[in-house]
Parts: sequence; structure tokens; C-alpha cells
Amino acid sequence: MTQPDVTVVVGGGAKAPSPAVAIRSITKSYGALRACDDVSMVLQAGRIHGILGQNGAGKSTLMKILIGLVTPDSGEIHLAGERVQVTSPQQAADLGIGMVHQHFSLVDALTVWENVVLGDRSSRLDADRARALVAEIGGRYGLGIDPDARVGTLTAGQRQRVEIVKCLRRNPRVLIFDEPTSVLTMEESEQLFGVLRQVVRDEGGTVALVSHRLEEVLKATDDVVIMRDGRVVAEMPTSGTSPDELARAMVGRDVRLRTSDAHHMRSGAGTDGDVALRLSGVTVRSRRGGTELDGLSLTVRAGEIVGVAGAEGNGQRVLADVLSSLRRVTSGTVEVGGAAVDTGRAGAMAAAGIGVVPEDRHDSGCVLDMTVAENLALTSLDRVSSRGALDLPAMRESAERLIAQFGVSCPSPDVPMWTLSGGNQQRVVLARELSVRPKVLVAAQPTRGLDVSAIEYMGDRLREAAADGVGVLLISSELDEILHLADRIVVIYKGAIVGEMPNEAVDMARLGMLIGGAA
Amino acid sequence: MLGFLGNVLTDGPLYESTFRLAAVLAFAAVGEWVAERAGTINISVEAMLLGGHFGAAIAFTASPNFVLAIAVGGMVGVSVAALQAWLSHYLTADQFGIGLTLNILLLGLAAFLQPRFDLDTRLAGVTSIPLLADIPVLGPALFGQRWPMYVIYALVPLTWWLVMRTNWGLEVRAVGEDPQAADVSGIRVNARRRQAILYAGLLSGIGGAVYLFGQVGRFESGNIGGKGIIAIAAVIFGGWTLRGAVAGCLLFGYVDALRLNLPTILGYSLNSQLLASLPFLATIVVMLLFAKHTRQPVALARPFVRGLK
Amino acid sequence: MRVVLRSAIGRLRLGRDQRELALLYVACLVGALLVSLLLIEVNGSSWTRAVNALVDGAFQNPGRWGETLRRTAPLLVVAVGSVVATKAGIINIGQEGQLLVGAMGGAFILTLVQPGNPLMLVLGIALGAAAGALWAGLAGALWYWRRIPIVLSTLLLVYLSSQMAAFTLTRGELLLNVVPGEPNRLLQSAEVAPGSRLGIIEVFGNRFPLSVPVALAMALGFGWLLSRTTWGFRLKVLGLNPRTAQRAGVSDVRYGMSAILVSGATAGMAGAMMLAGGESQYKFSSGFSSSVGWDGLLVALVARNSPLLAVPVAVVFAALRSGSTFLSVAGIEAVLVDVVRALLVVALFIPPAISDLRRKRRALASLTERT
Repeated sequence: MTQPDVTVVVGGGAKAPSPAVAIRSITKSYGALRACDDVSMVLQAGRIHGILGQNGAGKSTLMKILIGLVTPDSGEIHLAGERVQVTSPQQAADLGIGMVHQHFSLVDALTVWENVVLGDRSSRLDADRARALVAEIGGRYGLGIDPDARVGTLTAGQRQRVEIVKCLRRNPRVLIFDEPTSVLTMEESEQLFGVLRQVVRDEGGTVALVSHRLEEVLKATDDVVIMRDGRVVAEMPTSGTSPDELARAMVGRDVRLRTSDAHHMRSGAGTDGDVALRLSGVTVRSRRGGTELDGLSLTVRAGEIVGVAGAEGNGQRVLADVLSSLRRVTSGTVEVGGAAVDTGRAGAMAAAGIGVVPEDRHDSGCVLDMTVAENLALTSLDRVSSRGALDLPAMRESAERLIAQFGVSCPSPDVPMWTLSGGNQQRVVLARELSVRPKVLVAAQPTRGLDVSAIEYMGDRLREAAADGVGVLLISSELDEILHLADRIVVIYKGAIVGEMPNEAVDMARLGMLIGGAA
Repeated sequence: MLGFLGNVLTDGPLYESTFRLAAVLAFAAVGEWVAERAGTINISVEAMLLGGHFGAAIAFTASPNFVLAIAVGGMVGVSVAALQAWLSHYLTADQFGIGLTLNILLLGLAAFLQPRFDLDTRLAGVTSIPLLADIPVLGPALFGQRWPMYVIYALVPLTWWLVMRTNWGLEVRAVGEDPQAADVSGIRVNARRRQAILYAGLLSGIGGAVYLFGQVGRFESGNIGGKGIIAIAAVIFGGWTLRGAVAGCLLFGYVDALRLNLPTILGYSLNSQLLASLPFLATIVVMLLFAKHTRQPVALARPFVRGLK
Repeated sequence: MRVVLRSAIGRLRLGRDQRELALLYVACLVGALLVSLLLIEVNGSSWTRAVNALVDGAFQNPGRWGETLRRTAPLLVVAVGSVVATKAGIINIGQEGQLLVGAMGGAFILTLVQPGNPLMLVLGIALGAAAGALWAGLAGALWYWRRIPIVLSTLLLVYLSSQMAAFTLTRGELLLNVVPGEPNRLLQSAEVAPGSRLGIIEVFGNRFPLSVPVALAMALGFGWLLSRTTWGFRLKVLGLNPRTAQRAGVSDVRYGMSAILVSGATAGMAGAMMLAGGESQYKFSSGFSSSVGWDGLLVALVARNSPLLAVPVAVVFAALRSGSTFLSVAGIEAVLVDVVRALLVVALFIPPAISDLRRKRRALASLTERT
């Protein structure tokens, strides 16, 4: 074992045992942005600490500093009273700090056991021992998983189990979870909280649960630290607080909590408009024969917002890809305004009138190495060209108009897209997709990774679009977002729509069952 | 016609040259396989082979010791690989442009420097392995070779073990599939990629040297002419598995051997351009049949810079 | 946020980056030259003689800069085509073969139809372009049909093309010029018909063929096509982000194929124009391409995919070629130039790579969101 002796107290005084982790005055700036501004906090052994904050509050940066992915400008980290410098994830692991990541830490092509031991150089590679280890940890925490399965074939929930096993196998004293439930069903979340509880209760470990979800923090933690704009704004025991108090601290003003009975004012168009988009029996099989969409059918009428709810990994990506002309359907039809569209043909969906704000804008939403003006013209080249020659002044002028109209913050239309912040890139994509007056707008996880004002902006724009008669399909794994915006909710599970309900008459219990595949 | 088929299948010398030609390809292909599993394509294996070929010739001229000369060949291969690795996976310059330039550079250097050295090389001795070499048809081909050829027998399993059974190999595979995930898991992505390229350089360099002492005996700058490229094709043909890559080398070696032996087998001469085209034609045809069904490392030929996709 | 962006952009504009880049270029070029000079000295020659011979051969001696220009034309044309392919994200590195096939195709009209006329000249060059396009298109088809990597197939086709060219020169009924009563030891074609040759321009005693202005026009023309037309715009989108391209209606088969066909056609055209412009005494031979295709590709790489920047780079590369003929007179192997050229290319790769990396890292560091 390479862990430091946790009972050492530097200075030798007979004091109370030092906290498991003490963060002292950590500051980290990106240019003029202070991601962490003199942050101090203490994490105690045997407790679950919630670290709550909006996207952009600085909590992820702080955690990245703790595990050595980011180097702070100043400040200190003490582990069990001993000052440490964490310079790499490897070293963090050696010090007993582990993190379960939100995305990107498993390799699809490798097996479960290979992923679990990946990056660990403390012993020789031994398949049998690794398999036994996976089984042992899985047994101890109730995280059963086949060690020889390829990670690429697992569901989102199973993948997270692998992440957790990968983290736990090194017996971390400090365990960090970064937004762990965003990909989980409710049942899986409950189980996860059980694991957290076990880590702190039975093993005296320290858990930090990074989240922007109130109910999760209230349910699963002992203490809560609230961050806003790179600072710690409040610290309190979880038991002595209320949702309202937490929300106020998190946002910095009074907010109306998004709840299912939040009535949003709508024109009442909606459900009796013409059918803008109709998918009938859409089935998509992967090249290796897996079924990714399984006879999916849904309709979106002009002027309504349809929310597609569901745990991540149930076919949402494929659905968005089909509507972006990126995938061809194996069977079934897609109709826009009553006319069938040739799926998979380049640009066919866009030409038929489907605008898309994709889940990963860098993947299929914009071209980072082209200018803002060029990105704004991507889907409407005809309007800024004549007989094949580009009309650059027209392109620029149209870009300037859209930049003003959608409040994109950029110094000029001629700067490359990658110089813009995520929120502004998202605005560029939205501006482009709405500028061609689409019949349907598909928004896939549209607010992921955005800050709170950008989220509000996105919601307003989607409502406006619907009010203008656009049929909006909102695909989101954030149930709050769907409850907040959608007129009608459909639930996607294993590539098919398994249930539907209007937002006015939402039955939360049934919705939860549907999302978990239990109905 | 049947007699012809019979000859093509049972001709002993044909198998001997098949093995010899395949072995040279295999040194490069096995090395390149590791590099490609780490996510890089190195057109410069051609230059690494040539570097090993030339370096071994100079070393042997200076001091006629086969082992030493082969080691020097390996080191020259590593040096070429180091240039490729540093330029493409430290500075993130275009890996194909670098590879191509290195090929031209090494070819020019060899041609330019060759007259300065009074190169004096010869073939290594034939070492038949008792009993095994007596197996009909295949025996002499596999076990009656000049001894440097036998090095490949050790390198194939060693490489397999290295990539499939060690932490380093696991990390190499991870880096070729998903560099972001590997990075988060604490692996130095570009370092692993550079190491994999160096390994390719070492094997290709040794391959170039073995080719000199096991088959041609005399250095010519045109000797390598395209062998590195065919080795890359063998990796692709093999669907990025080691077994497949070796099978590809044997296949392309067989075709190359046909080129050399067909006239003797048939008893009349064929169009020499057609014969010379055979390996390249066969490579294209074979890939036409198989390339689409294989799964390549996801991050193949995609540079990695932390934070940039 | 706005302030941050301003400062980030401002930093990009500051001369610091440019100065750094210029300094890097100077350092790397000096490094490459030092290595080259060292090689010459080690080889027992004098570097001053080598440099003098190069300069004399490329520019100073009477008529030599005309010769340099003549050699610039095919390099530039090949480079322009390579730029088109690269823009679309296609790695065509088989220009050497496409050029050879183009020259061969051209030879079928230019050397066989005697006594020739301007129409035959145009047809010959067109056939050359078509042959080059076909050769590259083959690689494109193999990719879009069977997913055989273009890098690999274009390279394999280079080897095939030289065998094919050699084959056409073994048969009298194809391109071989059979001289009655003599053994055909020189495997080469007849001369290009006098009526089908490219016009020669003469300026101050420097003679170069019409292909020079044609190449220049092509550089300008493709520069315009790439930056000012929807075709160029779409190629760029396809090259930078194929999935966004697919979504926005840029079909990868259609536009990708168009790019690879153009790059093959230009290489083929360069080959046919070399033949009609007097390369190797207007005769086609199997070594005809003499690495012009490789060099043209390197010109494009060094010019960082700008057709306009390719013009000066092509002149430098051509000067090395025309200068190298004087090297052997000075008692130095002409092949030295290959080494120097490759060293220069390596040296020229380094500065933009370093500065790109640093610039992206800096901008990224100052813009990463606080998530």
C-alpha cells in the first residue's frame, strides 16, 4: 500500500486528529477568470460532504486540483495534516484520493477488468487477480459486474459501476464523485447512495459528492458546502437546512424552484397544431447488429415542446443522430410536415426543415477552426452566395445581425469559433439553426455544461420558438429541465418510447417507473 | 494447369523465399502493429527499415560482427523513430508529412553517404535446426535459414506478451482507443505513443539489418523499396491483431516469392513489370476483400492534446 | 466574459507570437543548413563550393533562372492539387504516381500523333489530367467503397504506376520508340511532336515554357476557388469536421471524391505539361517523374496548405533542383540536394507546430470554463 499513514500529525502537538482533507486558500485563474477564488474547506473522515453549486461555480476545477489534473496558482492541500503537492492523477491515487468521473474515463474497447486496473503501475498485470478483485469489490458493495464484458457493451448504469470499482480498488481514503447521478435511473441513484454510505460508515472514508442537484445533496450528504462564482458562500450540516435555503445560497438570490407544478405561461397553441415531425417505427441497428432504436414512434406538433425523458444511454444520441442525417434508419420512416425524408443522406434533415442543437456541439454542431461568421452560414450557404461564389459582405452582414439578435459575445464575426466560450458557441449554433426558420427544432441536452444564465436563456429561446409555431423536441436526461419546459413528456427506454403524459397531469411516480424501465 | 497448381503449393524453394521475404516484412509489421495500437501510423517504417539496413552495413564494415551490426541497425531504426515521434507526438506536426519526409531524407542520406564508405558485408551462415529442418516442404523454409532470420521467432511472442500481458501494453492499447480516458486514468498519452513508435523503430531497424545479413548480403539503397509500406498494409489487413498482421506478412511474402520463383516453376518467363507489380496488386486486392470488416483503433492517426478533442 | 475574450484575442494579435514564430523559423533553418554544411564537409567537399554551385545553377549563370522557373511549374501545380485534397481532409500522398501516369497518358497523344498541332497539345494535357484523376480516383473509390485508407492505397499505386510506365516502354505498339536497326537499350518514347509542344517564353535570355504562367494562374485560381466559393467552403467544412459537414448537407463521397479527383488531375496535368514543356528532351521514360510528385507534395506541406504561399516555396524547391545540376560539375553528388531538401522540410515543420501548440494551449488555458 502506498497510502500515507493517516494518523500522522505534523507538528507533533497532541491535538484532535487532523481532518482527512484540508483545502487552504486555493486560487486558480484562467486569464481574468477566477475559477477558484481563495477557496478553503475541510472534509472529515466518516462523513459525506456535498459540494453544491451551479455549473461554472468552480466546484469541478477544485476537484480537478485535488486529483492533480489542474495545478492551482496558490494555496495548499493537506491530507491528514500533512501538506501535499498533487501533480498527477497517478500521484493522487497513490495519496489515497480517487475520483469517479462524469465522463471520459473508461475505454470502450477494453474489458471491465482491464479498465479497472488501467493506469495502476503498482503491480504486474494479472488477469486472474484483476477478475477476482472486480468480483470481490463488486460483492462487498453490491456492484456486481462481469469482469470480462467489453465496457462498450454496457449500459450507462453499469459503466458507472465499473468507474466506482476502478476507484474503490485502490482503497482511497478520499473519494470524489463528480455529478454521479446524471446518467442514472432513480433506482441506480439510490443504490449509489448506499455505496457512499458504506464507504464512510464501514471504512471511515471521506466522500465528496459534487452536484448541482438540491434533492440529491439533501438526501445523500451529511454536510454541504455551497460554491458560487469560484468562492465558498456557505457551509452547513445538511440536516439543518432546507431546499429554499440551499437554492438561495447557490444562486445568490431568491429563486422559484423548478418543480413539477411550476406553471409556465404558454399561448396554448401546442397539442392541436399540425404535425410537424412524425417518426413511425424507427429502428436503427448498429453495424455489429445491436439494436439502438427499437421501433420508436413519436410525433411533434407545430408550436408544442415535446420532452424526451429517460436515463442516458437509452437511444437519445441515436435519435438525435437520425434527425441530424448522421444515421440511416434500418426500418421505419421520418416525416417532416407530412413528407418522408431520406434518412442518412447528407443534409436531408436540414433541408426538410429540422434544426438541431446537438448534445455535443463540437461533434456535429460547429466547426471550431472556422470563423463565427462561417459557422453561422453553414446550413444556409445559398443565402450568402450566388452561382457558387461566396458573397463575403453578405455573409458578414448576416452574421453581425445574428450575433446582435442572439446576444453572442464575440469581438468580431471573423474570430475562430474555438475562441468563444461554451455558452457563446451554443448561442451561435442556436442562432444558425433558428435563422433558417425550421419546422422542427431538436435540442439535445441543450444546457449541459452551461452556466445558469445561459440555461435560462436557452429555455426562453426554446419557448419563443414554440410560440412562433416551431415544433420543439427537447431530449434531456435532466428531468427538471423537461418538467420545466415541455408541454408533453415522452419517456425513452431501450430505444423505444414507453410512455407519454401531458405536463399538466404529470404523475411523478409513474414517470420514475417508466424511466427506470419498471412500467 | 493442375501441375502448375501443385508446383505453386509444394515447391520447396518457393516456401523458403516466402519465409525470408515474410520475415523482413514481419519485423516492420510487428513493430508498426504496436505503434498503430497506440494510435499512430508511421509511413516512416520505410525509413526505419532503410536506416537499419544501412546502419548495419556500416557497422559490419567497421567491425565484422553480426550481432553488433544488427544491434546498430536497431539503434539507427530507433533514431529515425525518435525523430518521427518527437515531431509528430511532441510537436504535433502532421504525422504523414513527417513520415514521408523522413523516407525521402533517409533515402537521400543513404545514397549520398554510400560512396563514402567502402561497404563490405556478407551473408550470415545457414543454421539448420536439427530434426525440424527435415520436415518436408516447410521444414527447410522455416528452420533451414540463415540464423539472423530466427530472431523474428522470438520477437513475435515477445511483442504479443508486451502488448497483451503487461501494464505497458494495456496502456498502449488504451491510448490508441481513447486518449481522453487514458489521460484521466493517469496515463501519459503522448509518452506512450512515442514509446510505441520507438519500439516500431527498434524492430524495423533490426528487420533492415536482418534483411542485409539474412537475405541480400550487400547494401543497395533501393533494397527496401516499398517493404515498409507493405508492412503497414499487413497490419491493416490483419485487422490490427498480431496474428492477422503476421498472416498478412506471410501472404505478401508468398506473393513476393511467387514473383521470384514463378518463372522457374513455370519454366518460361513472365512479363517482368507484371511480376514486379504483384506484391502491390495483391496488397490492394486482399485489402479490397478484407479491409472493411475490421475494426481499427478508434483514435488511430488522431493527435492528442490535453483538453482539445 | 467579454473582457476575458478581448484579452485572449488581444494576446493572439500581439506581435509576440509572430516574433516567436519568426525566430523559430530562423533558428530551425539555420540548424538545417548547419547540418547540411556539416554533411558536405564530412564528405570531403567544401561547403562554399557547394553553395556557389547551387546559386550559379539556380539563378546566376546565364539562362539559369529560366530553368528554375521551368522546374517551378510542375511543383506548383502538384502542390496546388495537394492543397485541395488536404483541405477536404484527404491524405493523398501518391502524387508521384499520379504525375507519372499523367505524363504517360499525355505521351499517348503528344508523342504518337505526329506532326502534332495545338489541339493535340490541349488533348494531350487533358488526357494526362484525366489519367491522373483516374489514378487518384481509384484510391478514392477504394476508400469510399471498401474503406481502404487513402494514405496507403495512393502509396501502393505509386509503385504500380512505375511498373505500368515501364511496361508501356517495352512495347513498340505502345509508347516505346523503336529505332530500326538499333537495339532498344534506351527505354523511352519518341519525342513530343513539334506542333504539340508548349510555347517557350524568352525573357533576357531565360527560356521557360508556357506552363509557368499556367501554373501561376492555377495557384491564383485555386486560391480563389478555395476561399471564395461554396465548393471551397464545403471542402473546408468536410475537412475540419465531417460530422458537421454531413449534417449541413456536404456529402463526404461527393465532395471528398471531387477533391481527390482534382488533386489527381492536377498531378496528371503537371506530368503532361512537363512532357510538353521539354522535360527529358520531350521524351517519356520510366523514371520521368523524377520525384517531382513527392516534392510537389512537400511544397504543399511546407506552404501550410496555402496555394499562394506555395508559389515562393515551389520556387525555392525548383532552385534546389536546377542548382543541383551544377553540383556534380563541382564534384559533389547531386543527391545531396535530396538530403538538404528533406532537412529543410523537417526544419520548416517545426516552427509552426511549436507555435500552434503554444498558442492553442495558451488560449485554451485562458478560456476553459469554470465547470
